Parts: sequence; C-alpha cells; structure tokens
Amino acid sequence: MELETQPKSPGTGGGRRSFLWKRFKKQKVLHLFVGLGMIYLLIFAYTPMFGILMAFKDYSISGGIKGIFTSDWVGLRYFDEFVHDYQFGKLVRNTLVLSLLKVIFAFPAPILLAIMLNEVKHMAFKRFVQTISYLPHFISWVVVVGVSYAFLSADVGVVNKALMAMGFTDEPLAFLTSPNYFWGLAVGSAVWKEMGWWTIIFLAAISGISPSLYEAAEIDGAGRLARIRYITLPGMKGTIVVVLVLTIGSILGGGLVGSNFEQAYLLGNSINNPTSEIVQTYAFRVGLSDGRFSYAAAIDLIQSVISVALIFSSNFIAKRVSGSSLF
Amino acid sequence: MLKSQRQKDFVFDSVIYVVLFIIMLTMLYPFYYVLIASFNKGSDSLLGGVYLWPRNFTLENYRVFMDDPKWVKAFLISVLRTVSGTLLGLLLTSIVAYGLSHRDLLFSKVYFTVIVFAMYFSGGLIPYYVVLRSLGLLNSFAVYIIPSMLSTFFLLIAISFFREIPAELKESAHIDGAGELTIFFRIILPVSTPVLATMALFMGVGQWNSWLDSAYFVQSEELRTLAFRMMEVINKSNSPMDSLAVANSASAGVTSFSLQVTSMVVSIVPIICVYPFLQKYFVHGIMLGSVKG
Repeated sequence: MELETQPKSPGTGGGRRSFLWKRFKKQKVLHLFVGLGMIYLLIFAYTPMFGILMAFKDYSISGGIKGIFTSDWVGLRYFDEFVHDYQFGKLVRNTLVLSLLKVIFAFPAPILLAIMLNEVKHMAFKRFVQTISYLPHFISWVVVVGVSYAFLSADVGVVNKALMAMGFTDEPLAFLTSPNYFWGLAVGSAVWKEMGWWTIIFLAAISGISPSLYEAAEIDGAGRLARIRYITLPGMKGTIVVVLVLTIGSILGGGLVGSNFEQAYLLGNSINNPTSEIVQTYAFRVGLSDGRFSYAAAIDLIQSVISVALIFSSNFIAKRVSGSSLF
Repeated sequence: MLKSQRQKDFVFDSVIYVVLFIIMLTMLYPFYYVLIASFNKGSDSLLGGVYLWPRNFTLENYRVFMDDPKWVKAFLISVLRTVSGTLLGLLLTSIVAYGLSHRDLLFSKVYFTVIVFAMYFSGGLIPYYVVLRSLGLLNSFAVYIIPSMLSTFFLLIAISFFREIPAELKESAHIDGAGELTIFFRIILPVSTPVLATMALFMGVGQWNSWLDSAYFVQSEELRTLAFRMMEVINKSNSPMDSLAVANSASAGVTSFSLQVTSMVVSIVPIICVYPFLQKYFVHGIMLGSVKG
C-alpha cells in the first residue's frame, strides 16, 4: 500500500518496485493458484528430499519427521554396511543385467514396429494394429504377472500344457520358478507391455518427414529398404536420441519399459531370487518390511545418485555426438 | 526390371504384414485367453487344452466373485479412489497449470525451477513413507488420493496445452469483467477437453492399477483395493510353497486360478471400456509433452 503512494518515475528503484507490486496484485489469483501447487510440492516432493539425511543418521521411525534432524549422525556407516552386505554382488549384477538387457531389446523394438507400421498402406489395418499394440501399456503389472502365470506356470500354464501335448517336453518347464528364466521373462513381458506405447512417438517422428523426400528417392530408383535406411531412419534420428537419453537416464528404474521394481517384486519368489532380487526390491524389503529405515534410505540414495549422473552424462554425450539432446 | 521390383515389393509387404499380424496376436491372445478361462469351470481349466473357447462354460467364477464381500468391497474402493482421485487430481493440476501458463507471470522462473527440480530428484520411498506417516495419512483412504494429486509431468503437459489457447479468448472475457476464476472454469476448462481427457485417462488408469500404496501404506482390510487383492491371489498361487491351486471350499469347481482370471477380467474391462473414448485424445495430448514438430 505504502509503495503506491510513492512518486512513480520509471527507472528508479521505487518505481520499479511499485510496478512489480502492481503487477503482482493484478496477478494475485494466479499466484494463489500456483502457490497451491508449490505448497503441495514442498510437502510431498521437497520434504522427502530432506529425508535423505536419514541415510547418514541413526533414524528411528518413532522420531517422525523431526527425527530426521534430531537423530544422531552415523556418517557413512550404512553405505559401508551395504557395500559389505553378502548379497551386494548379486544385487548389483541383477540390477545392471536386467537394465542392460531391457535397453538392448526394448529400445529397438518400438523403432522397428514404427517403421513396419509406416510401410502399411491399409490405414484401417495400421490403426487397428496400433490400437491393439498400446493396450497392454494401460494394464497393471499385477495383471501382466497374472497373465504370465496363466501362460507359463508349471501346473496351469497354457504354454507348458501345449508343449507337453505336442510332445516337446515330458515335464513342465519352471518358467516362473527357476533363476534361469527370470531375465528372459522380465525382458519379454516388459517389451510386450510397452513396445506399442513408445511406437506412438516414433510414428509421430516419421510423420514429420517430408513426403517429397520419398518421392525423390523413388524416382532415383531407391527400393523400399533403401528408403527406410536413407530417409526414414535419418528422419527419426532426433527422436531416437531423445528417447535413448531418457532410457539411459532411467535405466536403473527400468528404462522406457518401466518399473524393474514392480516386475522383480511381483515375478520374484524364493526360488528365482538369485536372479530376481535387485537393489530396489532389497531396499524395499529391508526398509518397509524389516523397519531398517536408515539402511534402506542409504541404498535408495546410492541408486538415485547413479541415476541422476546417468541422465546428465547421457544427455551430454548425446549433445556431443548428434547435436540433439533432452535439455 | 519393373516386374522384379514389384515382386520384391510384394515379398517385402508380405513379410511386414505377417510380422505385424503375429505381433497383434501376441498382444490380443493373452487377453482373450484370460477371458475364456474366466468363463470355464475352474477345475476343468487345470486339465489344460482350453485354447480357443470355454470347454465347460460356467458363470460360477463370477458368482463366487460377486458373492464374496471382500472382492465387492475391494472393487468399490477401487472405483471410489479412481473417480475421486482423478477428479481432484484434474482440478489441482489444471488450476496450477493455468496459473503457470501465463507467460507474464511474476517469479515464473522460480516456480518452474521448483517444478523441474522435483521432476528429476526425489527423496526415495523411505523418506516419503516417513512424511506420509507424519501427516497421519497412513491407513486412511486419503493416502490413495492426496499424495498423487499433482504430478510434475502432467503439469508440464497441461501448461503447454493452455499456452496454445488464443490469448484473445481470455482478453475479451477480461474486458467483459470476468475474474480469473470465471475465466478458468467457464472458458479455459471447456476448450481444454483434449488435455483434460488425456490426463483423466492416465490418472484414472494409474489410480485403478495401483496396488503398492494399498500394500504398504494401509493395514486396514476395509481399504484394500482390487489390484491389491488380485496381487494377493496371484502371488499366493505363484509362490512355490503353495503352487497347488487351493479350491474354494464354498463352491466346487472354482479354483484360485479361476478366481484369479476372473478378477483380472474385472480389472481389465473398465479400462477397455473407456479406452476407445479417450484414445483419440491421448495421442495428441501425449505429443504435447514430448516431441514437437
């Protein structure tokens, strides 16, 4: 109020402040709207970030939020404990193998599907295949695991029944309860679930390519494969790089085919544990089931530091190599 | 020369059509199989050989499902959280996004920094749990709704959509004396159906499919969701200790497998029902947030 009574001369500090204040007052409803969101983020996103402190403390749940600040420092004790955990090697290997396999198989799949769909001339067929292919994206992992069970389990699974009926095998294969099959199972079901979804983005990239390029290539005698190789793929390059950066940045969480955690948690059991237990499921178990909050927070922290480092480095490399990047 | 080119094209097309057809089958058949298994007598399904249609048709699985108050309750809780969670999520997200969509908004740099930072960094599950606990949200219905009302991802999508709305629309309303609230509810929201439908679909599906919060933030049996109950049956039959399907004593022929596929059908059907209506919107909506041009 006081500011408004000051003489307004543009260029002076007072004038500028009063100008800002006027603008702010004019926008006060908007700031109220945005403020709601900021308060929300403060509570549900930023307060947990302070909670990272508990990884360095001897936190007990009875302390509540305040306990994050008041409990005693223990330095790197929990990080040290995790590194010397007898399961450490297994956890790290499983986490990395699962993530890498997913990049290798799940990243090219939607690109190939998009290229194939683009070659289809019957619009109705194309749209139908596309609609079907992204349906699994909307189905929960619980259902996907239920489907895997209905198809692959030793006693009721369709696949085993069919294999046995056709005489390929005498006894059911333990797809769900053997460490040998878990990685294949996880990668396969992830590709099944998310391949169609990511195709949307690649198809959009293809639709941005000028048709005149294809016409010119056809006149020059380029065949279908040549057109894919010299026009379609280069035209998708920017999108491919962006999606790759996204994938690598989220590789520990499951990359673009989502949630290593839900898969490993739902498909995992005591028998396939040697290949199915990953860092996230382990942290989850020791944290929420065993109540070792500080230890689990420390494991979580290691993982998120690596993830953030991966985002920035893959983005940096993408910018260097191809000129396109995420940010 | 011309002829061989045409032959080559024919081979090329055939390969693509065959591959796409196989992909389509692998996507569709699992859903179809679950559907027929849910209409087949449970004890008969265990014998195997049911591939194309129910061999021993029955509605018993659905009857047992609907007679069990546990499942009915879980279904209702899931419906309730999906409807209320989606509506409240849409309201908060679009209100905040509307404010942020004004390019001349003061401090907008600060606001956006706060949002983007929250997008890339998080405290992890354990501190999140501690926060929910301190707020007294654990073991309440509110834990399904309140913590998931605002996602930074949807926020950015909504902002870029609102920015595409012609400014003249707002200006003329301003001149007519409308306040921001009126403009927002009467003008902005009605023209924003594509982005609202997209967000509603994703929020709704997320709410409907969510089981982790029911498993770890809620102890009360009363508040269990459909997805959680399903997880329970699937995990039970999947675990090696208990691999023999336990027949439901109340009703002959219904096995835990048949109950499982029935609950899966019940949880998939609502998604398939809204899917065609929202589909035309979300491809456009999701593009707003990702690739431009």
